[in-house]
Amino acid sequence: MSSNTTENAKHSAEHPDGDGAGATDEDKKDDRMFECNICLDTARDAVVSMCGHLFCWPCLHQWLETRPNRQVCPVCKAAISKEKVIPLYGRGSTKQEDPREKVPPRPAGQRTEPEPGSTFPGFGFGGDNGFHMSFGIGAFPFGFFTSTFNFGDARPSPAPRGTQQHMEEQFLSKLFLWLAVLFIAWLILA
Amino acid sequence: MANIAAQRIRREFKEVIKSEEVAKCAIKVELLNDSYTELKGEITGPPDTAYEGGTFVLEIKVPETYPFNPPKVRFITKIWHPNISSVTGAICLDILKDQWAAAMTLRTVLLSLQALLSAAEPDDPQDAVVAKQFKENIEMFQMTARHWTNVYAGGPHVNKECDDKIKRLVDMGVEEHQARVALSSYNWDIERATEQLFS
Repeated sequence: MSSNTTENAKHSAEHPDGDGAGATDEDKKDDRMFECNICLDTARDAVVSMCGHLFCWPCLHQWLETRPNRQVCPVCKAAISKEKVIPLYGRGSTKQEDPREKVPPRPAGQRTEPEPGSTFPGFGFGGDNGFHMSFGIGAFPFGFFTSTFNFGDARPSPAPRGTQQHMEEQFLSKLFLWLAVLFIAWLILA
Repeated sequence: MANIAAQRIRREFKEVIKSEEVAKCAIKVELLNDSYTELKGEITGPPDTAYEGGTFVLEIKVPETYPFNPPKVRFITKIWHPNISSVTGAICLDILKDQWAAAMTLRTVLLSLQALLSAAEPDDPQDAVVAKQFKENIEMFQMTARHWTNVYAGGPHVNKECDDKIKRLVDMGVEEHQARVALSSYNWDIERATEQLFS
């Protein structure tokens, strides 16, 4: 009897698209692919190790806690660490339905921002690039201090493009630029 | 979370029952209580070894911290093997100690034990007497192991000579198992065994 059923199972595995029963077998196999290697249940708060093995985060965390000086993958015994696991975010699994006490939160995924736009801003001297030039004459040591040790307070961001303030700032910026050029020319010639 | 052990054993139990090895009668697991903490395992002696044809019963105790810690396994069936105590049935196998990994299951443990029967590690012994015999006189070891398999595990190879020597000691008033242990330990030299038993 038992040999008979195993034969049937083999048969349906060989011909998965054969009939309805074969299809459900396939579904079950798919489910098993996403079982945690520790609790053998469908992985919850799933993480995957660098060696590619799937676990529930609480399960893996407990395993790492059990043997703090021997951190190996429970499946293949490759070296693993808490920092080097990747969380899996399936669709609709973003909210943590079961926040567990004691277990620290699953490590976050590591995102790198895409490269910013290809054009390099600056050195354009055209009014549109948001280039700002300020020019001032101050008493030397104080000016030195103020420009070198300006901790904390960030410069106010430039005004949005197209507004009255933006136009005025651009105008002033150009004015100071020309004044600076004249001043340097005077210094050289004099 | 606390009951992860019981839940996992339940799943593993189903897995073992469905496995190929059970279909081939190589391994077997039985539940001893409803709480999934004590089980009885069975493995057959691997072919082409002294244990061939024998069935070895194992006691499996599942700790509360399973699967983060290994199950406690020992042989109930008496066996002559360098890595298994001939007295208590305690097993010296790395995966049941520090090399345990949480993804291992009852099935893989039983298969590992079966592999241990075909590949002994005399340099990491559990039973020093057996390991010494294994290293110094492999034929004597094979004969003894086959005899023990026959007597305790239902193996097919009857050894008339061994049985006779034991009978002689039993006739002298020695308990049968004790006589077998003494003879096995002294390479079936009946004089030295007698000396040890009556000193």
